[in-house]
Amino acid sequence: MFDFDATLPLMAVQFILLMVVLNAILFKPLTKVIEDRSTLISNSQTGAKEGLEQVNAITQQYEKALIDSRRQYQSIIAKAQAEAQKTASEKIAAAQAEAVAARETATRELAAQKISAMAELEKQVDSLSQEIVNKLLVGV
Amino acid sequence: MPLDIEMLNFLDSPNFVSLAALEVGQHFYWHIGSLKVHGQVFLATWFVMSVLIVASLLATRNIQQIPKGMQNLMEYAMDFIRELTRNQIGEKEYRPWVPFIGTLFLFIFVCNWSGALIPWKLIHLPEGELAAPTNDINTTVALSLLVSIAYFYAGFKKKGLGYFAKYVQPTPILLPIAVLEDFTKPLSLSFRLFGNILADELVVGVLVLLVPLFVPLPVMLLGLFTSAIQALVFATLAGAYIHEALEGHGDEHEEEHA
Repeated sequence: MFDFDATLPLMAVQFILLMVVLNAILFKPLTKVIEDRSTLISNSQTGAKEGLEQVNAITQQYEKALIDSRRQYQSIIAKAQAEAQKTASEKIAAAQAEAVAARETATRELAAQKISAMAELEKQVDSLSQEIVNKLLVGV
Repeated sequence: MPLDIEMLNFLDSPNFVSLAALEVGQHFYWHIGSLKVHGQVFLATWFVMSVLIVASLLATRNIQQIPKGMQNLMEYAMDFIRELTRNQIGEKEYRPWVPFIGTLFLFIFVCNWSGALIPWKLIHLPEGELAAPTNDINTTVALSLLVSIAYFYAGFKKKGLGYFAKYVQPTPILLPIAVLEDFTKPLSLSFRLFGNILADELVVGVLVLLVPLFVPLPVMLLGLFTSAIQALVFATLAGAYIHEALEGHGDEHEEEHA
């Protein structure tokens, strides 16, 4: 069972040969491809992380801009509403004043016309009564 | 010292002989000049090596960013090996040792599993039998001596002759133990692997001899598990020894705080 002979050194030589061959055809190419792959993966991971950061920054910027513009348009709407309100109330007030003025003028005119019509009527009543009197007196 | 377990031959009725026979210590000798080598070990080793090389070629023939099929499998193994080596040797210095630890792991793993999964018995050799190359002590000793050389190389390369300082580093009293460690390391490495694989194959062999069908299956599964664990243990310990040589006793704390 323990018979040592030339098998021993020859096995050692064979093993070293096997190691050289496997190093050339297995270990080197596989190590290269594994390391290349891990470099690639870590590179693309870094790239993806950077991209994600950029996306986050841009999203934040957009959100900020969105909030700003919302605030802006709200203030614009509020201003416009206030202005419109003001204009409307001004116009209403003016219209009301005009209406009141027109009514007053009309009332005044009406009163003047009434007076002149009354005067006319009185005059006519006077002349008519004069005529009646005259006709009556003529008959007498 | 050939040691036969032919004592189990009391079971040898003609029916059993064709199913299983246990042979330990019988080898299919090849003679190269004046040297003797174990042919069955080499045949099995060449098979294992060709499996590994073919798998590697298939994996890296058309290498792609998104792995598929064989590349995926071998990348899984590669990740496992890199992780193991990094855990043992540390982030800074593990890279140059990946091929060594990785080849150790893959070679031992495929050897062990080939012994458990491939019906070598169907191929008849004139003498001895094909089995996992790791159940021959020559293989395991060769591997563990390579590990010893590797960690000495690592130590000397990092610290030059200062590497010897680690023998007397905490206290010179431990010098004999430190020296002894350099012998026990390869010894324990090689015998652990050799013993586990040989014992596993023997247990399966004996069980197959006694009860040919189904009963040995759980033991075979256990054998697969043991084989995988032994490959892992060998590679892990090799990494740990190299790490120890690189670190030394002195700057261990420095490293921890760094």
